[in-house]
Amino acid sequence: MADPKGFLKTSRQTPPRRPVDVRIQDWKEVYQDFGNGELEQQASRCMDCGIPFCHSGCPLGNLIPEWNDLVRRQDWQSAIERLHATNNFPEFTGRLCPAPCESACVLGINADPVTIKQVEVEIIDRAWDEGWVVPQLPDRLSGKTVAVVGSGPAGLAAAQQLSRAGHTVAVYERADRIGGLLRYGIPEFKMEKHHLDRRLAQMEAEGVRFRPSSDIGESVTWPDLRARYDAIVVATGATAWRDLEVPGRELTGIMQAMEYLPWANRVQEGDMVEPPINAKGKHVIVIGGGDTGADCVGTAHRQGAASVTQLEIMPRPADQRPDEAPWPTYPMLYRVTSAHEEGGDRMFAVSTQQFIGNDEGHVTGIELIEVRMVDGRFEPVAGTERQLPADLITLAMGFAGPQAETLVTQLGVELDARGNVARDAQFMSTVDSIFVAGDAGRGQSLIVWAIAEGRAVASAVDAYLMGETNLPSPVRPTDRPLVV
Amino acid sequence: MAKTRHSTPGVGLISPPPHHDIYSIEDLAQLIHDLKNANPQARIHVKLVAEVGVGTVAAGVAKAHSDVILISGHDGGTGASPLTSLKHAGAPWELGLAETQQTLLLNGLRDRVVVQADGQLKTGRDVVIAALLGAEEFGFASAPLVVMGCVMMRVCHLDTCPVGVATQNPVLRERFTGRPEFVQTFFEYIAEEVRAVQYWKASGLDLEPILHVPALPEGTSRRHVVNQDHGLDKALDNQLIALSAQALEYAEPVIAQIPVRNVNRTVGTMLGYEVTKRYGGAGLPDGTIDITLNGSAGQSFGAFVPRGITLRLLGDANDYLGKGLSGGRLIVRPDENASFDAATNVIAGNVVAYGATSGEIFLRGLAGERFCVRNSGVTAVVEGVGDHACEYMTGGRVIVLGPTGRNVAAGMSGGVTYILDLDSTVVNAEMVDVETLDETDAAFVLSSVRRHFEFTQSTVAESLLKDWDASVKRLSKIMPKDYKKVLAVSAAAEREGKDVNTAIMEAVNG
Repeated sequence: MADPKGFLKTSRQTPPRRPVDVRIQDWKEVYQDFGNGELEQQASRCMDCGIPFCHSGCPLGNLIPEWNDLVRRQDWQSAIERLHATNNFPEFTGRLCPAPCESACVLGINADPVTIKQVEVEIIDRAWDEGWVVPQLPDRLSGKTVAVVGSGPAGLAAAQQLSRAGHTVAVYERADRIGGLLRYGIPEFKMEKHHLDRRLAQMEAEGVRFRPSSDIGESVTWPDLRARYDAIVVATGATAWRDLEVPGRELTGIMQAMEYLPWANRVQEGDMVEPPINAKGKHVIVIGGGDTGADCVGTAHRQGAASVTQLEIMPRPADQRPDEAPWPTYPMLYRVTSAHEEGGDRMFAVSTQQFIGNDEGHVTGIELIEVRMVDGRFEPVAGTERQLPADLITLAMGFAGPQAETLVTQLGVELDARGNVARDAQFMSTVDSIFVAGDAGRGQSLIVWAIAEGRAVASAVDAYLMGETNLPSPVRPTDRPLVV
Repeated sequence: MAKTRHSTPGVGLISPPPHHDIYSIEDLAQLIHDLKNANPQARIHVKLVAEVGVGTVAAGVAKAHSDVILISGHDGGTGASPLTSLKHAGAPWELGLAETQQTLLLNGLRDRVVVQADGQLKTGRDVVIAALLGAEEFGFASAPLVVMGCVMMRVCHLDTCPVGVATQNPVLRERFTGRPEFVQTFFEYIAEEVRAVQYWKASGLDLEPILHVPALPEGTSRRHVVNQDHGLDKALDNQLIALSAQALEYAEPVIAQIPVRNVNRTVGTMLGYEVTKRYGGAGLPDGTIDITLNGSAGQSFGAFVPRGITLRLLGDANDYLGKGLSGGRLIVRPDENASFDAATNVIAGNVVAYGATSGEIFLRGLAGERFCVRNSGVTAVVEGVGDHACEYMTGGRVIVLGPTGRNVAAGMSGGVTYILDLDSTVVNAEMVDVETLDETDAAFVLSSVRRHFEFTQSTVAESLLKDWDASVKRLSKIMPKDYKKVLAVSAAAEREGKDVNTAIMEAVNG
């Protein structure tokens, strides 16, 4: 039982971030831990609700009130057991998740919600420090083999669950390192890669085999892979990026965010000293106001950009929860991420008319126009055209769906109306033994949904291979976040 | 809240309240009779848990003259309900309701009661189903609460409701955002849906058994058409009211004497109703109506009697003496010609002063089990009691000048009990401590024993008073632990000139 009056005695606090002028000199994480005893105080604010709405905010089914109370009582070892019971990778979600659990926290109705995410990350960080996170080897092997294609959070969660259930699992990844977006999408300053490497080492010790630089459908065909494994989990993500078809798009210096960000990660991995695409001394424009855009902003600042401007076509969101997104839904708010604290401009309700280039075919500027929403469509506001100088433009406009061409052509897998890989209630595609998890089946989503799907598909694959399963299945393929 | 419940701010109460005045259908009939006497205008409701056999219970309740029978389903429950009750008590109200309707019809009892249903009714469809199964009234609680902002925290009993619904904490009450219009709109929707429901069906269910209408004589009503006959016209109180006319009309003193028999149940209660109706909760000046009764009184002698009425009974009494006593004074002593030893004979039955809130009781002789159970304000003097004395007591003073049974003071959260020659092994020490009397205690007990002697000519009191210095040493004091803390806080606040309630809330809320 939590302290029933904790929320009345303590107000919400989050630990301070490192000072901006210090942290943009390096690539280390901007977060800091709480001092001694402060996290326990924060955890004591949890009210142990009769109906814990945080459970409906998070698809993982995290037992949030339970581990909040365990932290309050400083029983950290039980806390990590309860946390790991529903979440394979709390060190990832604790750093990267936008925390819909906190948006759904009952305290948030009329006060500041519990710092669930901070509690989560400090539980797992302490568990690693104490040596409590050890490989969990299966008691016996099933003799069944599973290939997981894609090594993002969905694929890794599926692989860990299936391996622990006794199956022999190989994870295929087309990039040269394992991790998917965790490796080459998330900048170092949001999650230092040693967290990922540490978890991968645990999985390898548990028996998972990693096969980077393996582009299934190209270097190995899908039918070949299918012939070699008893089941395949497609967890290739939603990597088909949206583009901006306006005049001048062909100019050099304009690229997708995912063509820009990975180089900074490679520098941190030690592959090179200077990235081939570098924002140093440049006027940088980031098109897209989401988290990927913010990652570009933070990366450009660290590379020493002359200026950074982030553009968003939607109007500036409200500071407070708007009426159309009542508690416990996840509201669209004006959020100041760590990257935004570090500088740069943000422009809302603007659309790109054209890119402007020089004689060498390199971009030199961008022409914008203000837009307003009329009957669900953006309409330009005449006379608001303006130009900004630009040497480097990144497009961070979201992802349309999976790159599933070879799945369709080589296996005959069907796509759904949205272009995602179609699947039944057991996560199986229209082709037997081919399962689909994560953004490849769902469309672009949050890391918690990816891990939840990975856990659920593991349960479905285990049932398919063995006829029954004891693995948990936190979500169905059709489950969606809570909305009005 | 504490004032309404005649308890002490800052001291927890045992919830749900145990009904130690009801162990049989006869007990229930007595309670219904008592309540009807206490307010003949009121409809007396009896709430029954839907489960197999509820129809039989409902038939008994109808025969016990309940005006309304409420069939409550297994889905409901307040946020303070124990999880065991929420999860494991009862059956669907649909089944209990069908069984009740059919059993009442078969026994010719349906026409005299109103049948009500509740237990997580949420929609117009629920109302229509309940109506089809026989209900005439429909209870909603959780759904309107949610409409007002309840998030089902299940902390109603902890005073920490974060949305300000079930709390006395001013900080949290600020957070309440409900408005009356929300509830009004909710019920408008319910009414709209009831009108819209043309029919309903549930495939795969054989509904014949629960929609079954028993073969009935022609003209039998399937709903409430006549009122229960509570037999109030036969009450002795009709004479008491006539004798007390001067007091009722002009607040002038009345002294009367009248014989009583054990068929006279709930004596004094309807008289009390007439006083309260005219003079409100404050009643009349002490002793305005002073009635002496000779004989053996029936059950619930002096139930709910308000301030201004003194009933002196020369003889003896049955169970429930002084139930819900609300300021009146009850004195019972043997007849002057009785040859037995009053101090070793029973003079009143079980469950004396159940739920009484104020007033005085003097019993020259022994009383039965559960003496002063749930007493919250009465001062009672008695010369011996049975088991479970002062159970769940929340206030008042009890003085026992003789033997006790086992399990004294179980669940006692307030009030003080003084016992002569206490065998401390019989005390249930979970919530109380046994202490010695201080000077204030001793003075209070002395004056009470003097009054006991004055009112009853008790030989026990007489011999104790002869050598009071020795007698007072034989007394022990039973003091509830939290109650003692709160009393200390409020005394300190008074000394320092602080607001007492604020000080208590500060101490309790930490």
